[in-house]
Amino acid sequence: MATTETQILDDVIAASRRRMIMMSGTALAGLVLGNAPKASAQTTLTDTDYLNFALNLEYLEAEFYTLASTGQTIDQIGIGIGAGTAATGGGTVTVKPTGPASCKVPFTIAAVSSYATEIASEEQKHVTFLRGALGASAVAQPNLDLYNSFNAAAAAAGIGPAFDPFASDVNFLLGSYIFEDVGVTAYHGAAGLLTSKTNLGAAAGILAVEAYHAGLIRTVLWGLDQATPSAGIAAATVKISNLRAALDGTNNDDVGLTTVQDALNGTTANYTASTIVNADSNTIAFSRTTQQVLNIVYASASGMKGGFFPNGLNGNIS
Amino acid sequence: MERGAVVRDVDAIISKALTRRNFMVGAGSAAALSAVGCSKTFQPMTVPTNPTPALTDVDYLNFALNLEYLEASYYLIAATGSGLSAADAGSGAGAVTGGSMVPFTSSIQQEYAYEIAQDELNHVRFLRSALGSSAVPAPAIDLVNSFNGAAMAAGIGSTFNPFASFDAFIVGAFVFEDVGVTAYNGAAPLLSSTTYLGAAAGIMAVEAYHAAEIRTLLLQAGSTYVGYANQISALRATLGGGNETMLSATTVVACDSANAIAYSRTTSQVLSIVYASPDGNVVSGGFFPNGLNGNIKSTAA
Repeated sequence: MATTETQILDDVIAASRRRMIMMSGTALAGLVLGNAPKASAQTTLTDTDYLNFALNLEYLEAEFYTLASTGQTIDQIGIGIGAGTAATGGGTVTVKPTGPASCKVPFTIAAVSSYATEIASEEQKHVTFLRGALGASAVAQPNLDLYNSFNAAAAAAGIGPAFDPFASDVNFLLGSYIFEDVGVTAYHGAAGLLTSKTNLGAAAGILAVEAYHAGLIRTVLWGLDQATPSAGIAAATVKISNLRAALDGTNNDDVGLTTVQDALNGTTANYTASTIVNADSNTIAFSRTTQQVLNIVYASASGMKGGFFPNGLNGNIS
Repeated sequence: MERGAVVRDVDAIISKALTRRNFMVGAGSAAALSAVGCSKTFQPMTVPTNPTPALTDVDYLNFALNLEYLEASYYLIAATGSGLSAADAGSGAGAVTGGSMVPFTSSIQQEYAYEIAQDELNHVRFLRSALGSSAVPAPAIDLVNSFNGAAMAAGIGSTFNPFASFDAFIVGAFVFEDVGVTAYNGAAPLLSSTTYLGAAAGIMAVEAYHAAEIRTLLLQAGSTYVGYANQISALRATLGGGNETMLSATTVVACDSANAIAYSRTTSQVLSIVYASPDGNVVSGGFFPNGLNGNIKSTAA
């Protein structure tokens, strides 16, 4: 009998605890039907999980920009990629068959070369910062693919059968375009889920830097497009944006570089405006769930591992 | 008794207790408010009062709204020659001093200006809608003496008209955008509603897009304008607790050099910049000759 009483008490405590947390009748309904779970089967995600999710994305960005600006991977320049505080033991980076050194972009525009170096440095710092914040909990760099991923993305977007983001200034900028707005939406989505104000402050600060990067890349691309309309640069960004919106299932949360008609302080929409900012109708940056971000970086509308992460992300959000 | 019935009964008791507790929390708050009211009228010496009421999400959103009024006014006037409509400025809005349509020389210049003007107007409308009847009207805004004063303090010259040319216009824009990022970044962790936090983070991101756009365009405009921007940056650093990254071809992003995380500023630091004063207890000046509207309007003591 004691066992039965204990079980009843357990059920009561479980029910009341849930009610105090949820303040909803849902848990009680499950209990009355006799199928209340004894323990949570699904792991509740913590700040550590969200920061590790972000760290996976930062590994990807840091590798891309570092290869583009130096022809080296981040571990080659002394940044740790192993689990916890270990420098080594991280995954591999798949690049074009000619090797990492051939990924150094033959820049012809000095400013774009400078931007690549700056962004590489900042993404490296994000990796190091997040690894420092996570300490022993930091996940290792997962296997990354910066070759087949871009080819497949270009084909899916309708840009062409192959795409080498390391081939030229414009290709590098378009490759960057693929990442930066996604970083913004990922941090935006995660910000509201973090419980620590310290982590929130850091995430918001990194979010802003990703938005600076996106604004920089988009401004440069738009300027190049306007200078040489026949190159089809802006059209390519629209295709990439459309692909991202299709992968995340919304079909409407990504704005490529184009022009729109705005009304400003009048009543007629007859001002032709650019779309440097990627945002919604209230001009608030878009936000994506972790699953939507995974769909994009896996290049799979159903969230199957692949794309930039052939074996998936490391950590509890994968 | 059958097990399910026991659980049901006990749970009903707990439900009542929780409901009662909620009621007591609400009643307690009302009682506390009432006590404060009494203390002010009858018992000032015996009941402790809080001289600085805790700031709420409404206060922070109204603080942001004041900054958006300033930005929207600047960009709308630059783009069209006229500022916020009466409906967008709110009942009892202050006057705007100065400003005129920029003599754009290319369609791409206009496209940039029109886009940012619409973006900032959308922020005004979004915040006014989110705040509803709590939204403060636009305060008085000065777009003449403010820029002249900033130019003088920054060492650029005795006057500065940001509406004189496109290049001058982006220097004027530079004055605002990075500050907007630091202001939203500072306010985000202070918001209690995750809905507002999400919106604030999303607006901050947009301000960062703008800031990067302006900084990139300044680099394209050439060293003269980058020089002006950096003189303004140095002035902002003096007024706003540092938190600046000098603009160069290799430092487009404004963020701390150690971790590449964007700066954040307190409301007081932001006020010091827009009031153009390093002093404490300042409640007006610079871009806001009559101060901000709302509960956040004074620099720290």
